[in-house]
Amino acid sequence: MHQHSPRRKANRRFARLGSLGIATVVALGLTACGPSIGTPDEPDSSKLQAPTDPKGEITIWDRSGDLFEVFDAVIAKFNEKYPDITVNHEAVDIGAKLQNTLITSTDVPDGVFLDDSLVPGYADYLWDLSDVLDPYLPDIAQQKVDVNSLDGGIYGVPWDLDPGLLFYNATALEAAGIDAESIETYDDLLQAARDYKAFKPDAGPIHLEQSAFLGQLQLEMYASQLGTSISDENGELRIDSPEYEQILTFLDTVQKEGLGTRAEYLGPTDIATLESGQQVFFPWAQWFDFAPQQLLPETSGDWRAMPLPAWSDGGARSGAMGGSSFIVPKDAAEPGLAWLFYEFLVFDEAGYTAVYGPNSVYPDGLNTSIPSYGPAANADKPLFGTVDALGGQDLWKVAVEAGAQIPGSAPTPTWWAGAVDYLGNNIQKMLDGTMTPDEVISVSTKDIQTNLVDRQ
Amino acid sequence: MTQTLQGGPRRFSLRRRGAPYLFIAPFIVIFALFSVYPLTFALRLSFTDWRGTGSATWVGWDNYAYLLTNPAFWSSLANSGVLWLLIIPAQVVVGLLAAVLLNNAKLKLRGFYRTAFIVPFVTPLVAIAQIWIVAFDQNYGPVNDLLNLVGLPDIGWLTTSEWSKPTVALLFLWKTTGFAIIILLSGLQSIDGTVYEAAALDGASRIRQLWSITVPLIRRTLMFLVVLQTLAVFQMFTEPFVVTKGGPYSSTTTAGLYLYTHITRADLGTGAANSFLLVIVVMLLSLVFVRLLRAKD
Amino acid sequence: MTATYESRGSRIRSVLGSQAFMVVLTLLFLSPVVWAVVSSFKPAIDIIRDPLGFDPTTFNLDNFSAMFGDVPLGTGFLNTAIVLVLKGSMILFLAPLAGYAFAKYDFPLKNVLFGTVLVTLTLPIVVLIIPLLLEMKEFNWINTFQALVLPDSFNLAFAIFWMRQVISSVPDELLDAARVDGAGEFGIFWRIVLPVIRPGLAGLAVLTVMNIYNDFVWPVVVTTSDSMQTLQVMLSTLAQNIAGNTIGTDYATITGELLAASSIALIPLLVIFIVLQKHFINGILAGSVKG
Repeated sequence: MHQHSPRRKANRRFARLGSLGIATVVALGLTACGPSIGTPDEPDSSKLQAPTDPKGEITIWDRSGDLFEVFDAVIAKFNEKYPDITVNHEAVDIGAKLQNTLITSTDVPDGVFLDDSLVPGYADYLWDLSDVLDPYLPDIAQQKVDVNSLDGGIYGVPWDLDPGLLFYNATALEAAGIDAESIETYDDLLQAARDYKAFKPDAGPIHLEQSAFLGQLQLEMYASQLGTSISDENGELRIDSPEYEQILTFLDTVQKEGLGTRAEYLGPTDIATLESGQQVFFPWAQWFDFAPQQLLPETSGDWRAMPLPAWSDGGARSGAMGGSSFIVPKDAAEPGLAWLFYEFLVFDEAGYTAVYGPNSVYPDGLNTSIPSYGPAANADKPLFGTVDALGGQDLWKVAVEAGAQIPGSAPTPTWWAGAVDYLGNNIQKMLDGTMTPDEVISVSTKDIQTNLVDRQ
Repeated sequence: MTQTLQGGPRRFSLRRRGAPYLFIAPFIVIFALFSVYPLTFALRLSFTDWRGTGSATWVGWDNYAYLLTNPAFWSSLANSGVLWLLIIPAQVVVGLLAAVLLNNAKLKLRGFYRTAFIVPFVTPLVAIAQIWIVAFDQNYGPVNDLLNLVGLPDIGWLTTSEWSKPTVALLFLWKTTGFAIIILLSGLQSIDGTVYEAAALDGASRIRQLWSITVPLIRRTLMFLVVLQTLAVFQMFTEPFVVTKGGPYSSTTTAGLYLYTHITRADLGTGAANSFLLVIVVMLLSLVFVRLLRAKD
Repeated sequence: MTATYESRGSRIRSVLGSQAFMVVLTLLFLSPVVWAVVSSFKPAIDIIRDPLGFDPTTFNLDNFSAMFGDVPLGTGFLNTAIVLVLKGSMILFLAPLAGYAFAKYDFPLKNVLFGTVLVTLTLPIVVLIIPLLLEMKEFNWINTFQALVLPDSFNLAFAIFWMRQVISSVPDELLDAARVDGAGEFGIFWRIVLPVIRPGLAGLAVLTVMNIYNDFVWPVVVTTSDSMQTLQVMLSTLAQNIAGNTIGTDYATITGELLAASSIALIPLLVIFIVLQKHFINGILAGSVKG
């Protein structure tokens, strides 16, 4: 191998020094002409205004799948109203692309479909839409306005409302002599579950979510019913409250009494127990209705939806779980035209009728959520038809009436998804039996404060 | 590790002296432009609280202090360490056995096996992740069905922090063991067959031969493989990302995945600081292995 | 080799044992792929609902036609092919060149320069993503082939490391003889070294092709427009949408499309591998560290 003569050793030492020098020079030289960190953006307080000359080309991002097809079909209708606007509709991995695109401000789309929970996190990059939204504000569900707001601005065009509903297997419950319709509070639900379990001992009647992310989302649905959420409008944590205590204690009781089936949402275990009649209560957002329509052939037609139970007599019978809106980036080439597109899609009768009404993807209409815009969400004027998988039930009416009960909310904190590592995980630990509800509250509060809130 | 020009007449022509630099120059240019330059940027970033927009504040060593005092950072390293223990020895043992068998010219279907072993290497990981999730489902997955067949109880492969690491490790093993087999096979082919004949005359068993003759003879190939795979394990990101999202309870949040979570939260300063800490760890590990390799030579 | 000295019975046992081991290993390696490919022919809903079900009467091409309707897979293949050719030829030219310098010359800074090659191998790509992306923005390179081809020190460094091993085994006498005949330094590389290391280069070529073909972390970040996306970017977009659509609806269809697209994506590399298998194996034999 190597034979080190003294000369070579000296040579090497010199070489090391030299290269260090070169590397440093190269690095410094490059740094000098590099992009400067944190050149403050021009303070731009102007709010988006509607354009006067609706002409041009816009690029709209949506995630691929059914909604892409639905929105794609609306573009033709939009062009009937605005023939001079060309819409380039792209199916994009928004989660992976949006942040980088906004940071580099290269090829920025004019409008993007985005989860409500992510909107405030991008507020720095987005147009404040409060001026253009102003005429519609009184008619938009308050919860949707709240989640899109930050420091007085509104950064998303609120689209769908996702009311929480109690889905139940009517056939199985009837066989056990249980009248689900009579359930009004979560205590009633517990009792019904106990009765069902007495009838069918291998049952775990109530769904307990095993995905940390969805479990936290469902927790927020329960909290939304009580008019609270993970943090208030000033960003202060409010998990340490009687409301969260009540919810967590309920979940803990379900688990401890063996009244729950713990499974990942529509994973293999979930589907099998839903089909076998072991799982008969599913408190979830309206979009669960996809399961009886597509994934549960055995029990399709047995399922029904009703408003959620209340946490106390006379309390709200629904809370929001999920939901999406449309954002317009500041660096968009044609932000005004993008607004016109979304205005048509969300607030124009021709637009929302096309979105929710019968189309090639959904022959009976898009029934996994309802509009958040009041005039569109009229209980007596259904946009989508009755659902066979729910025994021909008028889901529209149930969902619209439940949606009207959702209390107002606060903006979703930018760190919401990050909180899953703490709150979401701790809920699972509670269901494992290694944490009490009180510990979930105190540990999550402390960890979220130090790792997320304090590091904003 | 050959040293050249031993014995050959030394020529001191300028052309000859300049040539190697010219030959290496393209790499150096690419390295400077697309590694050094972004790295210096990342280094400055690691001392700020920049979130991708607006102005950055210089925060000194804050990001580093936050990480070094954060249990989540240490457990991400520990998770990678455990995965290393689960993956590397298993891969070396299985890879070596398979390579020894493949090295036997009398083995039927050799070509078929070699192709079969490399198939996972060319299969898109995102598709296999869907299969993994179904296969390892606690109640309805075929893996547990097989365990039940031989009388073993169900295992929460994806749902308990004890078993989630083996599940991810199995995916990594599945994806890369074919590559390991080929690398080891190449080492084996350079062994002179006569050493075995001597051993067989001495009556040494096959296992003994493998351990006392084969392994020492190919230890440099082994170390090469171990170093490569150690780098891969500590930078592992896609496997847990697509199968467990780092859960349950962050038990599969590897060093690489933990780093990524800062970036998804737009906490770019902390992300950059985490990167440098990880690079230091990986370099130290590589150094250790390189030293081990040298010490045995 | 050793079998000659064993009894007949033990030879049969050992052959059986070897074959059993190989068969089990083959099953483990192939079954997930077979499962994925078979699933792509099942109705999308059944993939979710009854993942283990096997009913050939229900098999159809719906997932494939839906996928071709949603995903511009042809564009993806074309972009991947362009990147493969550009980046592949870059790496396969520059790596032997640098590997030759490291293997056959002695010069000041050699060890340090080789050190940078090794250090490059330890840099996780995630470290560089945001800074590189900002750099691409400065260069106006977002959504360009340059951005997909050039910023990849890792694969180049790996290739150089590999080539240095290969070229080390080229006898010095061969080079010196050429030198005596008056060949220039580059001429020696081009006319003597390259032909001699062809098998090693072929092995590196297949490895490089696989790495480029499978790469998606950087391409996802640097291509935002549909027309620039590579095959793997499209696959990962589909995969991300399964996660996204779980909170929504139609993830079964997308799962079906993903498996269909993956099954097709599998074909070219598999064909390349089977055709070039001999070169690949021999090439790896030439390249890796010898015991």
